[in-house]
Amino acid sequence: MKDGKNIVKANNNQNALAFFGKITASMTHEIKNVLAIIQESSGLMEDILTMSDNTDLKNKERFIATLDRIQAQIQRGINITSNLNRFAHSPDNVQERIDINDLIQQLSILVSRFAHLKKVELITELDNSPFIIQANSVQLQMLIFNAIEIVLKHIENGTLKLISIHANEQLKLHICYDLMTDDQFNCISACEEWSLIQKRLLEIGIQLLIGSDQT
Amino acid sequence: MDELKILLVDDEQEFVTTLAERLEIRNMNVSVAMDGETALRIVQKELPQVIVLDVLMPGLNGLDVLERIKSIDSKIQVILLSGHGSTKDGITGLKLGAFDFLIKPIDIDELIIKLNEGWKKYCESK
Repeated sequence: MKDGKNIVKANNNQNALAFFGKITASMTHEIKNVLAIIQESSGLMEDILTMSDNTDLKNKERFIATLDRIQAQIQRGINITSNLNRFAHSPDNVQERIDINDLIQQLSILVSRFAHLKKVELITELDNSPFIIQANSVQLQMLIFNAIEIVLKHIENGTLKLISIHANEQLKLHICYDLMTDDQFNCISACEEWSLIQKRLLEIGIQLLIGSDQT
Repeated sequence: MDELKILLVDDEQEFVTTLAERLEIRNMNVSVAMDGETALRIVQKELPQVIVLDVLMPGLNGLDVLERIKSIDSKIQVILLSGHGSTKDGITGLKLGAFDFLIKPIDIDELIIKLNEGWKKYCESK
């Protein structure tokens, strides 16, 4: 009976995730449409400015420079919404084939805001070849996110690098912090939740490591 | 070689009209449609050689419109347009005879390259 209740609860959780995912994916699609219109409108303004004679408009160069800044922010918005859209599609399948390097890259963009709030620059250095695993994408992203979050709780400033290296049938995920002190390393390593994440990642073939570099 | 006639199809009116204006500035002959049914009427009447077609539209979706365009004139080259990051629609579209696939927002220079490639392919298949 208890097993039956657990299955119902798991299905409810999956349905709730799927609902949030569906609505978020739909909204990101709408945001992309808005960005596309802004992009074309600013592009049209630039076209008109480029066509016009220099004497037609005072401060023409300043307008063009401002439009360039708008275009750069549109690109930033597109990158964010594209990643958010892919993230929103994560609950579509309970188990799926995932390229872990691809997933880390996407997650790093979504997590960069959390790092930024700690004045930390988050960068990736990922193995060139894909590393495919069969896993639940939402749970896997949560585990890696939680690992990054634990590290961010203990640090401020500097650079946090996510490095993936294929070794035999495993993938080593190094979370490297350039300003890591012994105290910080010990606090993170001794954290109960950290050990739990390490254990769960290892079950799906990912060895999670922490340090100031990948050695 | 005839003049290139382009048809842009997208239910986002602001997007499609602004894009059309940008192409007209570059001396291109452009028509617009905001839904699949209107697009098919323009195809019958004006016979554009290259069509830029949004996948996700109310009413007839882009893939349905693509099939009907190809049954009217298989030489017409269709570039599919999607707001999704996924390439799933693109692959389906290519199987149905689409010439190429772009993800919104698009780069105008890239679009012009694709339009010219589509036109070249249309002329070669005549």
